[in-house]
Amino acid sequence: MDIDTSRLSSRTGRRFWRAVEAHDGNLDAAIEAEFAAAFEGLSDRGRRELLKVMGASLALLGVAGCSQQGDVRAMPYVTAPEFETADNPKHYATAVIMAGWAQPVIGVTHVGRPTKLEGNPKHPASGGATDAFTQAALLGLYDPNRAQGPKFEGRPAAWAAFDDAMVENAARLNARQGEGFRLLTGASTSPTLARQLNDLMQRWPKARWHLFEPFDDGLRLEAARLAFGKPLDRRLHVDQAEVIVSLDDDLLGPGPQQTLNARQWSTRRRAFQTGQGQARLFVAEPTPSLTGAVAGDRLIAAHGRIPALAQALSSALGDSATMPTLSALEQQWLERAARAMKAVQGRALVTVGAQHAPEVQALAVALNARIGALGRTIAFAEPAALSPPDGAQSLATLVRDLQGGAVDTLVILDANPVFTAPADLGFARAMERARVRVYAGLHDDETAALCHWRAPIQHCLESWTDARAVDGTVSLVQPLVRPFYDVRSAHAVLEAVQGRLGASDHDLVTQTWRGAWGGAFDETWRTSLLDGFIANSAPAEAAVSAARVAAAFASEAPGLEVLFRPDPSLWDGRFANNAWLQELPKPLNKVTWDNVIAVSPAFAEANHIGSGIDSGDIVRVEAGGRSVEGPVWVTPGQARDSITVFLGYGRRLPGQLGDGHGFDGYPLRTSVSPFAVGGARLTRVDGKRLLACTQDHTALQGFDFVRTVSPDAARRERSGPSSASREPSLYPDWRASSPSWGMSVDTDVCIGCNACVTACDAENNIPMVGKDQVAKGRAMHWLRIDHYFEGPADDPKLFFQPVPCMHCEKAPCEMGCPVGATVHSPDGLNLQVYNRCIGTRTCSSFCPYKVRRFNWFDFTGKDPPELQAARNPNVTVRSRGVMEKCTYCIQRISDARIAAELEGRPIADGEIKTACQQACPTKAIVFGDVINPESEVSRRKRSARDYTLLEEVNTRPRTTYLARIDDGEEGEGA
Amino acid sequence: MAQIFTPAADTWLRATTLATVFLLTLGAFLFAGYVNSDYATGVGMVVDQPVPFSHKHHVGDLGIDCRMCHTGVETSANAGFPPTHTCMTCHSQLWTGAAALAPVRDSLAEDKPLVWNRVSEVPNYVFFNHSIHIDRGVPCVACHGRIDEMPLTQRAHPFLMRFCTDCHRDPGPKLRPPDQVTRMDWSAWDSVPEHRRYGIEAMKHFGIEPSRLINCETCHR
Repeated sequence: MDIDTSRLSSRTGRRFWRAVEAHDGNLDAAIEAEFAAAFEGLSDRGRRELLKVMGASLALLGVAGCSQQGDVRAMPYVTAPEFETADNPKHYATAVIMAGWAQPVIGVTHVGRPTKLEGNPKHPASGGATDAFTQAALLGLYDPNRAQGPKFEGRPAAWAAFDDAMVENAARLNARQGEGFRLLTGASTSPTLARQLNDLMQRWPKARWHLFEPFDDGLRLEAARLAFGKPLDRRLHVDQAEVIVSLDDDLLGPGPQQTLNARQWSTRRRAFQTGQGQARLFVAEPTPSLTGAVAGDRLIAAHGRIPALAQALSSALGDSATMPTLSALEQQWLERAARAMKAVQGRALVTVGAQHAPEVQALAVALNARIGALGRTIAFAEPAALSPPDGAQSLATLVRDLQGGAVDTLVILDANPVFTAPADLGFARAMERARVRVYAGLHDDETAALCHWRAPIQHCLESWTDARAVDGTVSLVQPLVRPFYDVRSAHAVLEAVQGRLGASDHDLVTQTWRGAWGGAFDETWRTSLLDGFIANSAPAEAAVSAARVAAAFASEAPGLEVLFRPDPSLWDGRFANNAWLQELPKPLNKVTWDNVIAVSPAFAEANHIGSGIDSGDIVRVEAGGRSVEGPVWVTPGQARDSITVFLGYGRRLPGQLGDGHGFDGYPLRTSVSPFAVGGARLTRVDGKRLLACTQDHTALQGFDFVRTVSPDAARRERSGPSSASREPSLYPDWRASSPSWGMSVDTDVCIGCNACVTACDAENNIPMVGKDQVAKGRAMHWLRIDHYFEGPADDPKLFFQPVPCMHCEKAPCEMGCPVGATVHSPDGLNLQVYNRCIGTRTCSSFCPYKVRRFNWFDFTGKDPPELQAARNPNVTVRSRGVMEKCTYCIQRISDARIAAELEGRPIADGEIKTACQQACPTKAIVFGDVINPESEVSRRKRSARDYTLLEEVNTRPRTTYLARIDDGEEGEGA
Repeated sequence: MAQIFTPAADTWLRATTLATVFLLTLGAFLFAGYVNSDYATGVGMVVDQPVPFSHKHHVGDLGIDCRMCHTGVETSANAGFPPTHTCMTCHSQLWTGAAALAPVRDSLAEDKPLVWNRVSEVPNYVFFNHSIHIDRGVPCVACHGRIDEMPLTQRAHPFLMRFCTDCHRDPGPKLRPPDQVTRMDWSAWDSVPEHRRYGIEAMKHFGIEPSRLINCETCHR
């Protein structure tokens, strides 16, 4: 397999590459074909055809140029709320719930419509950070595919009919103390749900509650039980850990814990940047992850090698356990990790992924205890999530009882087991044994299709509830908007199935807390709502010590192994109807609208069948007598003997957005081996799938896109202005006066998580274009995250680089525009004036950074009213034939400028946060006035790490980057 | 070989060219005339409203201040329309049975908003902010005209880009003391010669730089 690195040869002699050639063709072609699909098929049609098309374009020009007046109707309140100006946005502290965990947010509403979710800076866990799922929850609220009213046997029904049926059913169950009543929920941390379940069990002692969550921390709790004798939540203090050794634990990867860990890790990393201690990250993993990508020292190790590595690390740090045999590479990595850990003593952290055996995880816990990390970098506390009576066997017990005919009424609340349950359990067939099946969820999904009653529930942004963040702090979840579909809160549905009607979600939640707070209720409720969380509500860290060393465990299953991972965009599949997430290029392969089977380049090369395995080829993966078929993705940095199947795609949702994209990997997943299965076989079958991958789109022509420096060099201040700003230029000079806006992106802390990209989608009304258009290079994201590799394809270093508009001071696009639709502003912005733009696309062809996006079609005109309601009213909705690009969130600049002028003061540093900056969990993006030497952005730009992307084209961008610090082995570094 | 062109061809060519030039010029003039006409800009046209509300009566005769109803004008981008409740503060006592006010009473009784049609509307790619204009002392009359003389509300000025930029290029002459922005008749003010300097002083005081005001991003984003 050839790697196309020659064309990106750089001045520093380092070679960065974007794609494995077999997948990509050559990069020059990608660069040349900026508008890859612009003239597709036209060139072979001949002159007549061309003239016809041109004539039609000319004729349509006049029509397309006409703008329409918006809706001129004005509907004032009948009775206006007091002290409120209708048009000004209002902010509410609340939370979005992801797999049971609260993601704290400040919801912004315009005239009653939620339009943006921002992180809650006050919250102890998130500190204002968010992730992509949280940002996209806004679209989830407005999802036109959501279940919009109750149904009985597939036909619309009334809530009254549902209530009657439930009351009747409950009367029957009352007589038997609830025997035969089963409730199945997804993971939850809600104190109100806990109270309701408690009530339920007291009323109906013979009822039973089950829980199933496809990706949870079940094995972690089990590991804590092995170590301490009882299940405990792990609380990491990543900001205290100077050395982290992660054995296949994606600390910074997608999931409920991402914002907390990423924020803490970046805090540590920033301290290291200024010379306070270290921030080293050693990762051993079978498949590239975000944590692996930012690790200074990454080892590719198969899933089956992790127990051996854990044992070896334990042994290297003074345990008497026998040292397992390691390969030379593993041995070296281990020695480096152990040496680094010894150097910092208790300020280190060893962590094993939640997908590994509890014994292995318990060994890491014991190891942390031995080095004195317990209580410093890692602590334990009472579990925050509700745990069902049957523990890990919860779903299996339910299936057994279903099959045994012991289940009369099955209520499924906010879970989709028909799609996600382990294949060996046969849940779907067993479920049909229940006499009454009630489904309460957001969508009419696979499980809903097999239920008698469908009782659609409210989205968390339109409902009262409560939940805990990953640090255990409780957030009160308050609605941002009254439900616009005919739906009910999950709490109310749970009451209704017990025959108790009329309870509102607000009453149910206040009841919980009235009980807890007694007389102080009113005041505590008010403060907690304002803050977005209940102060000091996290379970205290338990005093644990002397973790017991776990029993010995068996090591590795030989042969090819299949790993199951949640999709980085769709998680377990629950976000399939969310276009922002579907179209989000996945961090490590930039594929959109599809999932893939990741194999290593070496494996692809070795398994020559015909012409070999290329990305997109359909393969069959067999393991344990089960098989799935899906497109393969040759993944640099993947372990040779590991195949990763991403789950969550292949949804069967007729008529809905998420239907039919990708393939369903769940049939391969069993309850025995839910995270990895050995002894697999991969064969190529006929066919190839077109994957809409943005990795080779918008390729730049140049070198040194990403840079690294040594830790010492990083701490110096740059002596003068960068060389670029002294180069002569033919472009006009702009008078620079304060404020002049600029941005600095720290690639040293960027983890490529996509939170910024999704935040930009929400803030700037970015249209989603669909798979076909993405494949043609027409994705509309204003902010993209470029992903580079360096080194051999089998073990490359991975780099991320967020690329918004550079806002060049010498902007080529401004020279190119024939109608002056892109111009320079006195505060240094490179403006795009939509109403002037005639769509020649000259600016885009002149742009060396390829950050401009063209509206090839009317992507927004046919949006249903729900989606129109989700739009930010402060940003123009662009129409067909218009160029657009990052504006540095000019609407936020304007708002801040007007607010400052009204108050007669200058705009404070940090007052304007761009959407991407606000969302970033690692504070990699800083925006501000570059003229003011005291501003954060100016301080960053004075760093020796500051560099300009494509400095050689002398565009003098206002967006600059901070180089990544190479903290490999001491004394190394470029 | 026969001649391709007749003797008249040259004349035809000249005549056609002249006619084309003439027609194009005429077309351009007609087009310019149209887009600037009151018909196209909507100036002076009365829009149908659910209630024939008279600004002349409420503002001119009764002297009610603009901000009594348009409450958002000092704090928000939009001035806002009054809630039905505001109308009914007076009309629950006055003209309680008037047929013209039936929609207002119905609105309150049925809790359904009145649906007004905007008279002063800028295109959706223009972001106008009332609060900053009021704060700097651009009087209401500058854009909305003599509202106090309009029995039925109509557009007083063409809201073309030129109307905005004329003022943004040189805001001085339009500026008035911010505490009097809602005043409609400024003839007494204009007759005092010292007031001619007010605009220049106000621009200095507020630090208004026309060079920044005429930039695209002031209104378009």
